[in-house]
Amino acid sequence: MSVFSSKAEKVFIFAFFFIALGIPLFFNENTFYVNKISTMLILSIFVMSLDYLVGRTGLITLGHAMFYGLGGYLFAIMIPEYEVVNFWLYTFYVMVASGVIALIVGFIVLRTSGIYMIMITLALAQMTFYFFADSTEYGGLDGLFIYLKPETSMFGLNFLDLDNENHFYYLCLLSLFNCYVFCKVSLHSRFGRVIDAIKENPERATALGYNIFHFRLVSYVLSSSLAAYAGYLFSLQYGFVNPTMMSWEVSASALVMAILGGLGTIFGAILGVFVYESLHYGIEHMTQYWMFWMGSLIILMVLLLKSGIAGLIEQLVGGKRK
Amino acid sequence: MEMSLFLVQLLNGIQYGLLLFLVASGLTLVFGVMGILNLAHGSMYMIGAYLVYYFAAMTDSFWLAVVIASSIAMVIGVIIERFLIVHLYKRDHLDQVLLTVGLIFIFNAAQSFIWGNDPLGVDVPELLSSSIQITDIVEYPVYRLFLSVLCVGIAVGMYYVINNTKLGMMIRAGESNREMVENLGVNIGTLFTVVFAVGVTLSALAGIVSAPVVSLVPGMGERVLISCFVVVVIGGMGSIKGAFVAALLVGIVDTFASVLLPGMSSMTIYLLMALILIFKPQGLFKS
Amino acid sequence: MSECILQAENLSKHWGGLKALNEFNIKFYDKSLHSIVGPNGAGKSTMLNILCGTYPATKGVILYRGENITGLKSYQFCRKGIGRSFQKTNIFKDATCLENCCIAAQQRVGSSFNMFKSKHSSKHVTAIAEDALEQAGLLKQANTKASAISYGEQRQLEIAMVLATGPQVLLLDEPMAGMGHEESLIIIDLLKSLKKRYCIVLVEHDMDAVFELSDLMTVMVDGQHLITDVVDNIRANPLVQEAYLGNDDEVF
Repeated sequence: MSVFSSKAEKVFIFAFFFIALGIPLFFNENTFYVNKISTMLILSIFVMSLDYLVGRTGLITLGHAMFYGLGGYLFAIMIPEYEVVNFWLYTFYVMVASGVIALIVGFIVLRTSGIYMIMITLALAQMTFYFFADSTEYGGLDGLFIYLKPETSMFGLNFLDLDNENHFYYLCLLSLFNCYVFCKVSLHSRFGRVIDAIKENPERATALGYNIFHFRLVSYVLSSSLAAYAGYLFSLQYGFVNPTMMSWEVSASALVMAILGGLGTIFGAILGVFVYESLHYGIEHMTQYWMFWMGSLIILMVLLLKSGIAGLIEQLVGGKRK
Repeated sequence: MEMSLFLVQLLNGIQYGLLLFLVASGLTLVFGVMGILNLAHGSMYMIGAYLVYYFAAMTDSFWLAVVIASSIAMVIGVIIERFLIVHLYKRDHLDQVLLTVGLIFIFNAAQSFIWGNDPLGVDVPELLSSSIQITDIVEYPVYRLFLSVLCVGIAVGMYYVINNTKLGMMIRAGESNREMVENLGVNIGTLFTVVFAVGVTLSALAGIVSAPVVSLVPGMGERVLISCFVVVVIGGMGSIKGAFVAALLVGIVDTFASVLLPGMSSMTIYLLMALILIFKPQGLFKS
Repeated sequence: MSECILQAENLSKHWGGLKALNEFNIKFYDKSLHSIVGPNGAGKSTMLNILCGTYPATKGVILYRGENITGLKSYQFCRKGIGRSFQKTNIFKDATCLENCCIAAQQRVGSSFNMFKSKHSSKHVTAIAEDALEQAGLLKQANTKASAISYGEQRQLEIAMVLATGPQVLLLDEPMAGMGHEESLIIIDLLKSLKKRYCIVLVEHDMDAVFELSDLMTVMVDGQHLITDVVDNIRANPLVQEAYLGNDDEVF
């Protein structure tokens, strides 16, 4: 039985990654666009992790950017300032550290539901924002700098030079691919079966003997660690972290992107990010008040498009299967 | 801490807490009766503040500006409900979040377009611009006392309306059983419009009267909104009494923290919320 | 007489001032069907909900095979062996009938936190699910979406899901609710075969079914236990007739 939920998904994924592989070659010397797309790939990982949590596990959070920011901050704090560290080792550290924090936050947050969960996640993200913004040792509103990019050697073999924009691009692409595969595999697994059941009918799932709190907590920790990984990549790309990475605007726009792309589809996250960011840049070129138009588009989307762009595409391409 | 400083900060904290309660009650009214979490509730606070700035400058009268700004806010509330919110009643939380986030984007862009990003201020109205002597060394601004009294007055007024009038009865009934209220012949559509308009006007009013004592900056709405969430969460699910106690608690803690703990002043109330949630996941008071 | 598998002692449930259940004592025996009947508002559903852990009891004790399970969390009741079906159909509408039962069966088989093994990879789970569907008479609908089958079949699916969890006790809340005569017969036959292997507690308003199936009947009124006895004695009992006097839906 196929892991792809629909023909549209299969087509999109193949097309996307095929085209994405050729991007650096296409843009040749122009690293500006390669960098822009790298950022969108990183954002896709972040939004995909959010879709996992909101779209598949059914937990609505407005504070996901907290982990995005934490990924960058944890890395910046853990590394010695002027030393080159190992990328893989610190990936492990960052994800474990953020996972532990997510475990604690999850315990607080997952005992609530609905509107209260939305409020609490937003408030906790705001708390983290202020923790860093008001701090003196973590750079306050200016944030922290990452002076030296890590090296990527593993078992003595040096893979990529993260200062090279094309190499970094392929790292992001590979990461997105892994993220996608992990999300799809885990959601198609025994664990995923329970997650789907809990989302559709938590009362029934409990009556069947599942401890839904545990499953939700696992999902929360996983998606938060993924978000942190995305933030970590972002901090590597630009060489700094600052509190705005954790702002409510980032959480809210990520949610918009997830819904725009098609909530629950996982691949829709990529779609949502590229469409939203394209609109963002497009409108921003015309007016500095792009938020006005974006807000209007969002409202139109809520009123007209019920299952996001992925849903629209699925209708056009057809062939949905479960 | 010196007694006089303590007293001033306590009064400031109570005043801020009462204003938060005003905003929080508007928010709770809307999601209690209509089931809608209006994230643009903070935007209304901001709109109120900027409108009173605009009209105070134009008419040279603070009080006239208050009336005009409140009226406009009420009209905005009605328009938003009739054209946008009305589509959300049968939809899920996610759609509410999305639509109201869209509204925030629009309002923030409009604010930036009309008034720019520099901090603005409104003068305290002459009538209340003096200070009174509360102890032999402490003077306290009359306007701030007025704010506290106003909030208490509005709270008492709301309590009266909710418990002793037909509208209040419909609100209480709508909160527990929407269908029942419909079957009793109440026009739910009109009730909802009224409730929503009142809810956002409460928020706008808080912004309007706060204008002389705060700095008008972009993002002020969201800051109040999130503080409001902290109040509602600490206070407890659906409890007005809880919201009142929590608002005072948050107001006082926030005010003292900014004086005593400058390194972590902003995050103190969130820390408080997190701590309370660990021991009491449903908040301080259950409904 | 077979063993007493489930027992409630002095079970009470107070909602504020309202006493939904008051000092209720009852014993359920293995391999038998015990019905709970009573006028509306008697507290039947409340009792069922407490016995399966959905509501906590205000007072009293629940014993399962002699073990006190009163304080356990709701999901733990099913794991102990107490399965329940819902009065209002409560299935996974978007999944196939087979998948519905697989979800139930997987809990019993375990490794539900395994994120790498495909959900279709366990033959054991599928076998249990198919067996449950067969017992409930739904095997032919295995690959149909649950939302596409008839109402009566959905009620059968409710029971199939419970069976897939491998319970010892079946708490059935009005399984025949809203069913026509034909459909009811299917359920009656199903319950007749199931009661040979399970302890069934049946809350039902369909008195024909109740009389045909019950080994024991308990009549409840106003949260109190009125009488527990075999069917014939219940029918003849004047107290019971008085309890139902004026009540249109029950006919003796």
